[in-house]
Amino acid sequence: MLLAKTLTSSTFKLALIAIGTFGLIASAIFGYVYLSTSAYVRSRSDHAIMTEYQSLRSDYQQSGRDALIEAIRRRMTYRGSGDRVYLLVDPSMTVLAGNLREWPPAVTARSGWAEFRAAGTSPDATSGVLIRAMLETFPSGDRLLVGRDISDLDGFTAQVRAAVMSGLALIFVVAAVVSILITRRTVGRIESINATSQAIMRSGLDKRIPLRGSNDEWDRVAENLNLMLDRIETLMAEVKQVSDNVAHDLRTPLTRMRGRLEKAYLGQRVGDDDRSLIGDTIADLDAVLRIFSSITRIAQIETKARKGAFRTVNLTEIASEVVELYDAAAEQDGTRLVVGGDREVFVTGDRDLIFDAISNLVDNAIKHGRPGGQVSVTSNNGDGGAVVSISDDGAGIPCEQRDQVFKRFYRLEQSRYTPGNGLGLSLVAAVARLHGVRVEMLDNAPGLKVQLWFSSPAD
Amino acid sequence: MTSDRRHILVVEDDPETAGQLVEQLTTSGYQVDLAGTGDEALMRSGAAEYAVITIDRMLPDIDGIAVMRRLRESGVAAPFLIISALGEVDERVRGLRAGGDDYLVKPFSFVELLARLEALGRRSDTVAKETILRVGDLVIDLISRTASRRGKEILLFPREFQLLEYLVRNEGRVVSRAMLLQHVWDLHFDPSTNIIDVYVGRVRRKVDGQQAYPLIHTVRGVGYCLRAPG
Repeated sequence: MLLAKTLTSSTFKLALIAIGTFGLIASAIFGYVYLSTSAYVRSRSDHAIMTEYQSLRSDYQQSGRDALIEAIRRRMTYRGSGDRVYLLVDPSMTVLAGNLREWPPAVTARSGWAEFRAAGTSPDATSGVLIRAMLETFPSGDRLLVGRDISDLDGFTAQVRAAVMSGLALIFVVAAVVSILITRRTVGRIESINATSQAIMRSGLDKRIPLRGSNDEWDRVAENLNLMLDRIETLMAEVKQVSDNVAHDLRTPLTRMRGRLEKAYLGQRVGDDDRSLIGDTIADLDAVLRIFSSITRIAQIETKARKGAFRTVNLTEIASEVVELYDAAAEQDGTRLVVGGDREVFVTGDRDLIFDAISNLVDNAIKHGRPGGQVSVTSNNGDGGAVVSISDDGAGIPCEQRDQVFKRFYRLEQSRYTPGNGLGLSLVAAVARLHGVRVEMLDNAPGLKVQLWFSSPAD
Repeated sequence: MTSDRRHILVVEDDPETAGQLVEQLTTSGYQVDLAGTGDEALMRSGAAEYAVITIDRMLPDIDGIAVMRRLRESGVAAPFLIISALGEVDERVRGLRAGGDDYLVKPFSFVELLARLEALGRRSDTVAKETILRVGDLVIDLISRTASRRGKEILLFPREFQLLEYLVRNEGRVVSRAMLLQHVWDLHFDPSTNIIDVYVGRVRRKVDGQQAYPLIHTVRGVGYCLRAPG
């Protein structure tokens, strides 16, 4: 089954294409080597034949037929002349000198290059050998043929050809085997990812893709998929948490409303009582509606890129306006609310959203800070970009809960009963994400310091 | 002044909401015409001069924004109050940019609607040019940005003065928290805390503290109203 998957996998198809391309190139290179080798060998032999032929020809022209016969005989006795072929015939085709028994019948041309098979030069030669020769018919009618037995050359090129062919075959076989092995490995890794995916679809999100520890790209793919699964699992848990919290936060005012209406329904109509009952119900209904609009507002901020409404804004100005708005509230709590930092800190963003985020943080700082303490809002042009920090000197948030507080409806145990719906920091997080802002929560010793880092300064 | 100050056109497609609006506005002393579709709105607006036209953003036939554009093109000068379930800031801005004069998000309280209608109706007739405004024994000077009661100066921060000025300009009318946020702070969202109440509370302490009678009154469930007794 794995083999079938290997053969149909896209990696294998890619490997086949690679083998095909590579094979073509290798064949072309080997073909060129073969052709140029054989051509070189042949030209060397042709050159030798030509030199000898010219020397014999000049013997004939300068000293006549007898001198040529003499020269041929002499040459035939040279050592290492076994592969040489000479033949001189008169016009009646009678052999005058040379080591061929007769004028080869296949050669009909009067002059030029010729290739033919002959019985052989030596008496022991049983089979025909391949001979390449230069020939000429002199004006007297005598014919001269000078050549060489090129059977050996032919054998050499045949050997080269065989080597080339077997080399090519080896390349193809090795490439095929290697590509099957590689594909098998790839298919194996993909199969393990597929198996995990199917297991997740069947049972639950708790399965993870096994890593091989090879730190290769497959491990990284598996790692990232696992991280993605972690994230999905967290989100699912959050959704569950949110629905639980929504149920809690909505049920409280809804229960109160239901109780009141029931009382009004069962009781006597009393003008003033009815009025206050209805008034309270409307107030609770408003609280419910406000929760809904906060949720949809966060969802809308999160889902769309509102970059269209972005313009250059001065963080210090926004911070001052927030402080001004919350000044009265701080005064009521006996908290000192101060603003500071650089006069001009420009960032690109949506004024309303940044205002909303900062005011949520200031609101929290006043609510959870020390009564009679101090809340400060400072904006600076830092080295790492523009930053606005909101700090209080209250109880702070325990380290391990700092990530939790950005979750929707999350409320620390200690603040369960202070007013608010637990959506403020989710909104801050949503606004931060939209603006590419990094949110840091630091220990203000005592208290909490929240910093919003705008990475890129306004241009 | 050709338009009838109490004549309003309501463009709303949901029959129940429309019925409630007509009933309550009539009770509040308005003469109300109702249009259930964009076409009807275009037809009716040609027949009468309205003080204010309220338009639902999502109508069955033509988009509310397109209706406003067509009405303006045909020369209707009445201010538009957009009433819509699309509450996100972008939508509000889009509605206002397309020619709406104010924006109200569903669901809304009827008192809030009344407050906005009053403000819009007034905007279409008077633009006060006075620089000194008086309500009872309160005097505010728009040039020197100072306020006093019975000749005694009240120390206010600039934003507090702005708030008081807005209340004074709307003397006798209910002003909602959302309207304050919009006109005093230029914020188009609800900070969903009682921050406005706290702020108004401080202004009220400065303005009404140790005085013969209070001027700033809370309107339960809606907002505030500044008025002299009697």
